[in-house]
Amino acid sequence: MKQIVVVAKNRTGLLADIFEALAEHNVNIETIDAEAIDSSGVLILTVDRYDDALVALNRIPDISAVTEDAIVIRLKDELGALARIAKRFKNANISLRSVRILQRDDQYSLVAISTERTDEALQLVSDVIVA
Amino acid sequence: MSWQIGDLSSEDRSRLSTLLVTIQKKVDEFLGYPCTARFDYSALFPFLSYPMNNVGDPFIPTLFKLNTHDFEVEVLDIFREWVHATKDGFWGYVTNGGTEGNMYGIFLARELFPEGMVYYSEDTHYSVSKSLRVLHVRNIMIKSQPNGEMDYDDLRETIRIHRDVPPIVFANIGTTMKGAVDNLDVINGIFHDLALHERYIHADAALSGMILPFVEDPQPFDFRAGIDSISISGHKMIGSPIPCGVVLARKANVDRIARSVEYVGTLDTTLSGSRNAITPLFLWYALKTVKFDGFKQIVRSCLETAEYATHAFHAAGIEAWRNKNSITVVLPKPGAHVVEKWQLATQLDIAHLITMPHVTRRQVHDLVDDIRDGGIDSTVKRTQQ
Repeated sequence: MKQIVVVAKNRTGLLADIFEALAEHNVNIETIDAEAIDSSGVLILTVDRYDDALVALNRIPDISAVTEDAIVIRLKDELGALARIAKRFKNANISLRSVRILQRDDQYSLVAISTERTDEALQLVSDVIVA
Repeated sequence: MSWQIGDLSSEDRSRLSTLLVTIQKKVDEFLGYPCTARFDYSALFPFLSYPMNNVGDPFIPTLFKLNTHDFEVEVLDIFREWVHATKDGFWGYVTNGGTEGNMYGIFLARELFPEGMVYYSEDTHYSVSKSLRVLHVRNIMIKSQPNGEMDYDDLRETIRIHRDVPPIVFANIGTTMKGAVDNLDVINGIFHDLALHERYIHADAALSGMILPFVEDPQPFDFRAGIDSISISGHKMIGSPIPCGVVLARKANVDRIARSVEYVGTLDTTLSGSRNAITPLFLWYALKTVKFDGFKQIVRSCLETAEYATHAFHAAGIEAWRNKNSITVVLPKPGAHVVEKWQLATQLDIAHLITMPHVTRRQVHDLVDDIRDGGIDSTVKRTQQ
């Protein structure tokens, strides 16, 4: 089952906006797991109409909708934190396709990583994984 | 067959009239985006009647004669002087805007270093992520400092981990939201410290590429500072009704990727096929009429307005700030009505005013009054600096 990870700054009405956008596109939510991480909200959704859900979510300006091709991790916002994660991939000989910061506050960053070997990558970052 | 306005239905003619009135009104409240509204190309209107096209490399003669290649080459040569590329050591073309120039820079870097890793900061324009995706280049986003500059410690650590692949640094010469300039001297210092000889720097100088050549104490931004390519927008500070820009690159690098023409069977390495022939003419006309001294005066005036606006915001109790040599004034995100009215660009809890040549002190005061009356966005906790 395909999942979508939604990352956004916590704000009033965030969930309502997401549900409304999905409903407008006739997308049914099959499972939902919500978590507050520092000042960010992370929602892990499975839906019946994956592409329509992405289109709907991408129209909400202040959220990031991450497809299951990417892994979302949480890192302490300190010097070299991302570089150390990159080193794990390098040591495991797994090529990084892209590394993108989704949200950052004073203490933590939420980062999306995409590789061509997602299953192995998941194990590599199991200690910091969000979704 | 040709056609005229009289061939339109009265309803369609009315729609056009309404659009014109709307545009004329909205341009008076156009403070948030870096496009000047001050230009007059009416002398060039006769050229709009012909099917002109600058297809191909502007430096190579073509059989398609309805072109403005000669003017395009002159435009490039003027920019070459301003960004200190050597006369015989550069190549470039007039693009459809900053994005195409950035994409060309990344393309050139990838052709030179297929295994390279692109490093770009959080504050980089979103279009760069799209280009990286299109070009299928490996990439890592680097943290930004609060003022919008790249976090150099983070860059150093991340490059150090990947020392075995050539770094391709996408440097912002004026970030979109904060007008921050990545420090090329520091970036070159990192290359030096890590003994990296194969490396590439592309400079995204969309707006500041037309500011820094004209100020007394510019940050390092051009070929003197070791960049390999640069993209500058034409429709921003110079002004144009059609988006455009220039990209310039080291000719030695462009020549090195000539082998890739085997795949496409042509020496033309411009990204587009058909290319706009009118925008090079617009740029040529502006550069020839305004000239270096004219742009110097325009830029000085924009910087003075930016300084004036910063003080005006402070006087009203609004926490505004700007980077050195930047005409982008960053402020807490105002309420939705103010953002909509003044067409302010926003990101998270900030917005900005960009004091382009058409922005007056009167408009600044009206904006300050509106923010004071309407307040800042309720979700804003503090401005970042």
